[in-house]
Amino acid sequence: MKLRPFRLSLLGLSLLIPGALAAVVLFLLIYSGQAIGFNGLHFLYTINWNLGDLYDDPVQVGNVQVPSGANYGILVFIVGTLLSSFIAILIAVPLSMGAAICLAEALPAKIRPVLSMLVELVAVVPSVVFGLWGIAVLIPFIGDYLSPTGNGYGLLATSVVLALMITPIIATTLLDALLQVPKENRESAFALGATHFEVVTKAMMPMVRTTLIGGIVLALGRALGETMAVLMVSGGGINILPTSIFSPVSTIASFIVGQLDSAEADPTNMSIRALAEIALVLFIITLAVNSAAKLLTSGALNVRKRSH
Amino acid sequence: MKFSKKALRSGVAALAFVATAGFASAAHATTTLVETGSSLLYPLFNLWVPDFTAANPGIQVTTTSTGSGAGIAQAAKGLVQIGASDAYVSDSLEKKFPDLLSIPLAISAQSINYNLPGVKSLNLSGPILAGIYSGTITMWNDPAIKAANPGVALPAHVIIPVHRADGSGDTFIFSQYLAASDAAWKAKYKFGTTVSWAPISGEIGAKGNAGMLAAAAANPYSIAYIGISYANKVAAAGLGEAALKNALGAYVLPTPETIQAAANSVVTDTPPDERISMIFSLGPDAYPIVNYEYAIVKSDQPDTTTAAAIQTFLTWALTTGNGATYLDKVHFLPLPAAIVILSKTQIAKVQ
Repeated sequence: MKLRPFRLSLLGLSLLIPGALAAVVLFLLIYSGQAIGFNGLHFLYTINWNLGDLYDDPVQVGNVQVPSGANYGILVFIVGTLLSSFIAILIAVPLSMGAAICLAEALPAKIRPVLSMLVELVAVVPSVVFGLWGIAVLIPFIGDYLSPTGNGYGLLATSVVLALMITPIIATTLLDALLQVPKENRESAFALGATHFEVVTKAMMPMVRTTLIGGIVLALGRALGETMAVLMVSGGGINILPTSIFSPVSTIASFIVGQLDSAEADPTNMSIRALAEIALVLFIITLAVNSAAKLLTSGALNVRKRSH
Repeated sequence: MKFSKKALRSGVAALAFVATAGFASAAHATTTLVETGSSLLYPLFNLWVPDFTAANPGIQVTTTSTGSGAGIAQAAKGLVQIGASDAYVSDSLEKKFPDLLSIPLAISAQSINYNLPGVKSLNLSGPILAGIYSGTITMWNDPAIKAANPGVALPAHVIIPVHRADGSGDTFIFSQYLAASDAAWKAKYKFGTTVSWAPISGEIGAKGNAGMLAAAAANPYSIAYIGISYANKVAAAGLGEAALKNALGAYVLPTPETIQAAANSVVTDTPPDERISMIFSLGPDAYPIVNYEYAIVKSDQPDTTTAAAIQTFLTWALTTGNGATYLDKVHFLPLPAAIVILSKTQIAKVQ
């Protein structure tokens, strides 16, 4: 057999990324192993998170050492992550559908590229900028006009900031697909006497529905993992489940960042292992969301691929 | 076209060569010290580093603000030469890394700030704050707060406690103060750079001292603990500063005099390894929440050049660096003379 250096090198390169992914998962699994053993299933459905007394002598539990009083329960953070992302999607979907349809149908083709570029630009704004905007503008607004306690930090602020960050993702995906709808479909709908509204809702939207779902899933992926902006506006809820949209929350990603500093000073390393276990949970949630969407819309992302 | 491309390429190569050569020679001539950790010490390091490197061209110092926990952990692992921390190294970590030194560089304090429309002065105590942060005192007109503030019209409004969401030396000092004040707090929440905060529905977790300040300023009826180096910004934001009940029962504000009084009263108690809490130090005018700001350094350094550079920098920080030109800007106070001697003895251990 002939040696094909080009193919071989390509094979190596193409295996690099899945390899890296596998390495990360493997690392998380091995590293959090002790924590998984120590926490058991309580980890997922209890709400008390306590790193324990890092300034006291560690205690022996079974065959592992843990800081005294350490207890790890992450239900609050799972709920915070799912709720904030879900509400963000609820806000972002109508916004981005409106934006995409407006760009594709209502605006003259001349200014479309400029505006769509602006929308795409929003997608690349660093998240810390959204967080700053949240602190400076959104939180005082929520505190002054909406929240009954006057506290602007919490679930609503988090969801609005997330919604702004993911709107361009959904909007650009949808816009690309709308522009791909064959001219014939659109014009024959007009020829049948459909109003502009009917053309969009009856002739065009059904053709791009799967792409829309694909875009929402992409956006959900970003919302679930968003860290910095959330840490700045979420109110860092801990040990308490949200009771209203004004309650402070924490998401998994932001909580890991918030706790990492203290966890590093833990001589037993159990705190960091527990954080690795949360990371594993986040990974599984993201994976589940993505697979569910893939199943729902098998072939959903193909339309998008063609448009590029 | 072909020629110019070639020329371009060789030009780039030449540039790269010069850059590498320059970098290599620079690396030979200077020693780089990496500092990371406390966000409270970070502004001070930023004032120190330009003047220090100007006076010592052979030593380069880089400084980042990551948090006291990271400062301690990375110094322990030898990833950075100097870890900055508001908290000293814990006994349990000291057992694991016996060569880790906690060297005080300056004295800091923490203010308790409140956003109470119409209230100009407020007295608070450790047990009251422990009650607020553990959720047993929820209203501003609670009898305990009223008793401490005769004649002050306290609003019948829910208190919004603000705490740090990230790991922080400020949380360490504050929770140490609460643990020293209140047995129930000590038993349940202990102290540390992160605390498993009580479930209070109106509470806010904020990131960094800047986030604490923003949260307190944006939320009327809130209360927050903020490092003294933010005093100017706290005043500019219109937040009030609470007088705290000290060990002898007097209500004192964090002023240079009351912080100095606290620092002076623990001089004789400070052990050679200088790991001591300054919370509730005795003295009629002593402010209760005062602490040493530490440099966390390993005594065993990989080579003598690095060790010498660390010694030079820390010694400079304790002498020139403890001058009013630097410390006044961040509201820190210089170390008492006896403590400087202890710190210098520790610095000499860095080999």
